[in-house]
Amino acid sequence: MSYVLDGKTFNSRFFIGSSLYPSPQHLQDSVKASGAQVITVGLRRLNPQAGGGNAYWSMIQDTGCQLLPNTAGCYTAQEAIATAQMAREIFGTDWIKLETLGDDYNLQPNPFELLKAAEVLVKEGFKVFAYTTDDLVLALKLYDLGVTAIMPWAAPIGTALGPINLYALEAIRVRLPDAFLVVDAGLGVPSHAAKVMELGYDACLLNSAVAQAADPVKMAKAFASAIEAGRWCYEAGPIPSRPTAQASTPTLGTPFWHQA
Amino acid sequence: MRIGIAGAGLVGRLLAWRLARAGHSVSLFDADSKTGEQAAGTTAAAMISPFAELAVSEPEVFRLGMISLATYPQWMAELEHDSGCSVMYRHNGSLAVAHAPDVSSLRHFQDLLLHRLPAEHAQAVQVLSGADIDAYEPALAGRFRQGVLLAEEAQVDNAELFMALQAALTRLGVVWHEQTPVFSLQEQRLQTAAGWLHFDLVVDARGVGAKQHLQVRGVRGEVLTVDAPEVTLQRPVRLMHPRYMLYVVPRANHRFIIGATELESEDKSSVTVRSALELLSALYSLHSGFAEANIVKWSVNLRPALPDNLPFVGWKEGVLTINGLYRHGYLLAPACVLRALNLWENPS
Repeated sequence: MSYVLDGKTFNSRFFIGSSLYPSPQHLQDSVKASGAQVITVGLRRLNPQAGGGNAYWSMIQDTGCQLLPNTAGCYTAQEAIATAQMAREIFGTDWIKLETLGDDYNLQPNPFELLKAAEVLVKEGFKVFAYTTDDLVLALKLYDLGVTAIMPWAAPIGTALGPINLYALEAIRVRLPDAFLVVDAGLGVPSHAAKVMELGYDACLLNSAVAQAADPVKMAKAFASAIEAGRWCYEAGPIPSRPTAQASTPTLGTPFWHQA
Repeated sequence: MRIGIAGAGLVGRLLAWRLARAGHSVSLFDADSKTGEQAAGTTAAAMISPFAELAVSEPEVFRLGMISLATYPQWMAELEHDSGCSVMYRHNGSLAVAHAPDVSSLRHFQDLLLHRLPAEHAQAVQVLSGADIDAYEPALAGRFRQGVLLAEEAQVDNAELFMALQAALTRLGVVWHEQTPVFSLQEQRLQTAAGWLHFDLVVDARGVGAKQHLQVRGVRGEVLTVDAPEVTLQRPVRLMHPRYMLYVVPRANHRFIIGATELESEDKSSVTVRSALELLSALYSLHSGFAEANIVKWSVNLRPALPDNLPFVGWKEGVLTINGLYRHGYLLAPACVLRALNLWENPS
């Protein structure tokens, strides 16, 4: 289960988001229940220059997780780069979840701005976790730029639809066997997380599905189990599925031409 | 008894009023002037909405909210008597609607509400068809196909309530030390720039101002006030959306309060363009007549919140403390004031 990222060892493959919980207490309890060791944190709209979010951020820091600041709410590479630099100063980490919005309604990433920003930030020494669509070519280009993790969506953020294009997610995994891949956005229920982990994704990032559940703490536990189950499955090597049933012991007395 | 209250926001005023009308000698202290513009309670729509809030909070908020809802009618009558001012209090429910692409947000709201609502209150949540909505709110006719009516909810005009409380406190002889911040509170004494002052009871109701005593944080909220002569709404309307839950609350004379953003920030600088766009878009999408409305005011304030976002009423080192009413100030204040009075009157 454990893995090394940016020289640090982690045991949990559950990345958790920090917004939309009923209260900071729910956030802390959910993080604990999830076992997550990486937590995302936003700064846009909180007026970080004036220390606007300090009270909230200190509660997130109290979870003891590795912080993954994000550039949520940024549209252009320039905005995202400026936000990343501010995040590095405020939180003292090179980690940045790079988001560049292209569409205001479904918060779909803008791939062109994403690549521009990723190139600059990687050069500046950031560990870039790039939030992207499930486009293979885009994922390959991000990999070539040297990002730390590629984070394709399963479906548009907040939709809870689960993986709407498993073929695309699988293609990225197959073509980039050495990349650190995180499914970010669009997951609704634990079986969605298990499914993508079975494909060999390295981690799942969840926010709304946990934070907005009627009981966020229980839902955090449910996702933690599913992520773990999916990972064990991948490591264990599942048997391939077959179009017809095949008994595990030969069926004696059946003529061979009747045996499928 | 001689009582000193730090904080003349909604809670401080209400408590001072209840104590003064019970015959106590009350001194009220606040860093702000009597108009109370720094108080979170002046930047609010003042809905008394235990049901809608249950979708985003704990059963405790609902329980206290129901106590407040039952308390308001009598308190408003008494306040009118004590102050000589009338305060609009309207008890005709609230409506939640969503535009077609966002109906899943409305369904989620309804699911969360029914998941948490005690069974005996289930009938207070009515699912409405488009035709039902048209009947309840003719101004919205043809705009929405689904909605939820929360028939038991109410609202109070917070600007009128603040002024009426100010008038009542003056009439009842409360000594009001405006522009007098309280730096520290201990059992039976509080400290201002003039030194320590002694009382039989001291109360801390300073909201975000009580930071050094409590783990209270400010949660930024931005609120818009408009006058829209072309629009008439009967009751507060909440517009469900995947990312925001904004509401439009009708006051007298076609005045509307639109709120509120909720940002985990203690920044009190003026409304951002983004927030303005969100609030105005929500408003315009509800009724095109709002396009001709006049903007009266933009306001920004900080809601005092504790880590669990629940209110605290209790003793802290001999100081009766009320804080953390967060986004539910008008919903929780009467219940919290009653609980505080009860704690003090019945120490066991």
